[in-house]
Amino acid sequence: MKNKTRVIMMYSIALVWIMLGLLFNHFNLGVSNFQIYGSVGNWLVYIGFIGLIIATVKLIFIAKKRKTIDERMEFVATKANRVTFLCLIIAAFVIMIIDGIKPITMPYHLFMSYLVCGILIVYFISYKVLLRFY
Amino acid sequence: MVLTKNKLREYRNRSKLSQEKLAQRVDVTRQTIISIENGKYIPSLVLALKFAKQFKCKVEDLFGV
Repeated sequence: MKNKTRVIMMYSIALVWIMLGLLFNHFNLGVSNFQIYGSVGNWLVYIGFIGLIIATVKLIFIAKKRKTIDERMEFVATKANRVTFLCLIIAAFVIMIIDGIKPITMPYHLFMSYLVCGILIVYFISYKVLLRFY
Repeated sequence: MVLTKNKLREYRNRSKLSQEKLAQRVDVTRQTIISIENGKYIPSLVLALKFAKQFKCKVEDLFGV
């Protein structure tokens, strides 16, 4: 994807977040205690504005530098996806064997944060390792 | 699967192109050219056709299985 298209996409996504945030606030959706932001709508608006800032900075300073994403990277990314999925399944299985089947006692948002961070870390490491082999 | 014939380096040297230049012309990274030349990565049909077009030869002249 070309840099110009990427920046346009970033602007579009940021605007969609802001619009979604405003709609959520308008219709009183997701207002129940969403951390420090008060509501999901406020959080979406905040993220939207951060996205706009990043897209603008990218447009002014970074867009001149050409970044190539080729088929080898896509190939490795697909492999890394598969490895990450396998790691998740194996880790879940191993945890079940070691710890037994118990209810998860930690808060939902904390559990999801750990899970997403863990998946991202495994994906990043497997991508970097696989790049050396292909 | 392994390529039994890989003459990319030979053709590139014959055309006096650097890896960087060739990578720019076929729209990939230099690392990809290195991987293909070393037989670590098998290029897709599209990329193989781009190489063939670049060196004005057939795909079979460059790669073989």
